Amino acid sequence: MISTYRALLVAQIQSAAQYRVQSILWMLFSVIRPVIFLAAWVAVANSQGGQIGAYDVRDFAAYYIALSLVSNLATSWNAYEFEFEVRMGRLSPKLLRPLHPIHYSVVENLVWKLTTIIPLSIVLVFIALTFDARFRTTPTHLLLFVPSVLLAGSLAFLSGWVLATLAFWTTRVHAVSTFWDRAAFIFAGQIAPLALLPGPLQAISLALPFGYILGVPAEILRGGVSVTTALELMVGQVFWVVVFYVAFQRVWRVGVRQYSAVGA
Amino acid sequence: MTEVVVDVRELRKTFQVTEREEGLAATLRSFVRRHRKDVNAVAGITFRIDAGEVVGFLGPNGAGKTTTLKMLSGLLHPSAGEASVLGYVPWRRENAYLQRMTLLMGNRTQLVWDIPAADSLRVLQEIYRIPEAEFQGTVKELTELLELEELVHKPVRNLSLGERMKVEFAAGLIHSPRVAFLDEPTIGLDVSMQVRIRRFVAEYNRRTGATILLTSHYMDDVVALCKRVIVIHRGRLLYDGPLADLAERMAPYKVITATLHDGAAASTDLDAYGTVVSREEGRVTLRVDRQVAPERTARLVNDLRERLADISVEDPPIEEVIDRVFTSEQTTVSA
Repeated sequence: MISTYRALLVAQIQSAAQYRVQSILWMLFSVIRPVIFLAAWVAVANSQGGQIGAYDVRDFAAYYIALSLVSNLATSWNAYEFEFEVRMGRLSPKLLRPLHPIHYSVVENLVWKLTTIIPLSIVLVFIALTFDARFRTTPTHLLLFVPSVLLAGSLAFLSGWVLATLAFWTTRVHAVSTFWDRAAFIFAGQIAPLALLPGPLQAISLALPFGYILGVPAEILRGGVSVTTALELMVGQVFWVVVFYVAFQRVWRVGVRQYSAVGA
Repeated sequence: MTEVVVDVRELRKTFQVTEREEGLAATLRSFVRRHRKDVNAVAGITFRIDAGEVVGFLGPNGAGKTTTLKMLSGLLHPSAGEASVLGYVPWRRENAYLQRMTLLMGNRTQLVWDIPAADSLRVLQEIYRIPEAEFQGTVKELTELLELEELVHKPVRNLSLGERMKVEFAAGLIHSPRVAFLDEPTIGLDVSMQVRIRRFVAEYNRRTGATILLTSHYMDDVVALCKRVIVIHRGRLLYDGPLADLAERMAPYKVITATLHDGAAASTDLDAYGTVVSREEGRVTLRVDRQVAPERTARLVNDLRERLADISVEDPPIEEVIDRVFTSEQTTVSA
C-alpha cells in the first residue's frame, strides 16, 4: 500500500503542478474569511476596553491564525467532486480497480495541503506579526495538537465522504453539502471562538461534530484550553471519527449497489 | 474440456426512471407527486462464453448491451439473475476479480488527464501490484502492438482521440486481464485507426488467449474479430451463434450482383430471376430466395452468356441482416 500511495502522490503532484497558481489563489481565498472575522473581533474588543470574555485582541489574533492553519490541514472538499464524478460517470474506472476510491481522495487532499502549507505559513506569520498574536501554547499543547489535527482531518474527511456518498441516491448532493457548510460556519468556531458562543450554541457545537473539526484543534494549538480539557475534547473527536467511520462503511456498502453508472 | 469463462443466467436489470409531462403545471405537480416507471434495460438473458472466445455483442441503441457489460464488469448490481465471470460474482468486486478483468469504454477515459500516460501506467502498476519485470514486458509488448513510443510521454490531454484510445487500451490491459469487455472501442475513430485497433484486438487475443466480449456499431469490427455473435434487442436475447449463420437464419435470401458488358443493365429485364434491388452503370443487384439461388444463378449465366462480364452470389451485408433482425423482432434463435 505504501508504494501505491507513493505512485499516487507522484501523479497527483504532477497534476497539481499544472494548477499551482490556482492552488495559491484558493489558499489565499481560504485565509480571507478568518482575517475578516479577526478584524471584526479586534474592532469589537477595542470598543469594549480590549477584552471580550477570556480573549483580548492578541488572543483573537492567535485563535484565527490557528484556525486558518487547522482549516488548511483538516478540511477537505470531497462531496462536491464526488457528486461530479458520479454524475459524469468518472467514478466507474475507479470502482473497477482493486483500490478503494477513497484512497485517490486521501492523496488529492494530502497534495493540496503539501502544496499550500508553505505559502500559507508565510501569510500567517505576517498576520501574527501585524496583530501581535499571543499564543499560550506549551510543549504539551503542541504534542496534543498533532493527534488532534489528525483526528480533525479524519473527521472532516469521513463526514465529507458520508455526505458525498449520498450522490449514489441523488445527483444533487451540492444542496446537502452547502447546508452542512453553513452549519459548520456557525458551529465549527469560524464565526467566533467556541468559548464565546452563547450557552446553547456552545453546547450544540460540542454535541455536534462541527466544533471538533476546527474550533477544538485551533484552541489546543493556541493553548487556549487546559491540557485536561484538551484531552476531554479529543475524546469527543475520537467519538465522532468512529461514528463517521462506521457510517461511511455502511452508507458506502448500500450506496454502491445503488450506483447506476450514468453515462459510463 | 473447454473452460466456461462467462456464465450468465436470466440476468435482469430494471431501472426506475422519473417521468414528467412538459409544461409548468406538470413541473409543479412533480414537486408533490413523482411518476416513476420501471424500464427493463436487460430482461432476462442467458449465455455462456468459453475461454479465448471473441464474441460480438450486438444490438441497437438502448438494447441493453452496455448495461450487461456493466453488470459483468461489476459496476452494476442486477435486479435478478446470476452471473459468474472466471468463477467470481462480478458485482461483489473482489480484488482478485478486478485484477483479472478490464472494461474499456470507447467514449470514457480512465487516464489522468494532465500527466503523460507513462506516469498513469506506473500508478496502475502499483494499484494492480504488477512485478517490475512483468510490467516492463507488458509495456514493451503493448508499445509494439499499439505503436505507442511517441505517445506515452505526452500529457493525455494533448493526444488526439485515436492516440488517446491507443493509450487507453494500454492502460486497460496493463494488468494482462483474462477477460476484456470492450464497449464501442472504435467509436469516433477514423477508418485507418479502426483497422489498427481491430488488428490489435485480434493479435492480443491470439497472443494472450484472453476472452473478449465486444460491442460495436461498426459491423466491420464484428466481422473482423468475432466468429460468434450474441444479438439482443429490448433487453432480450434474439440470437446467439456463429456470425456466419446469422445471415442464413435471419435473412432468407442471397444477393446476386451481375455486371453486363454492353451497358444494357438499364434495359434488360431481369425480374424473372429475382427482385431487382438496384441498377447502376451496367451493374444489377438482385435479391433471390436462398433455396433457389443456385438454380437462378445458373439460369442467369446461361441466358445472358457473353453479355455477362462478372457475377457474384453473396450473403446480404451484415448491417442489412442486423437491421432485419431488429425491425422484424424475431423470436430467440440459438445456433
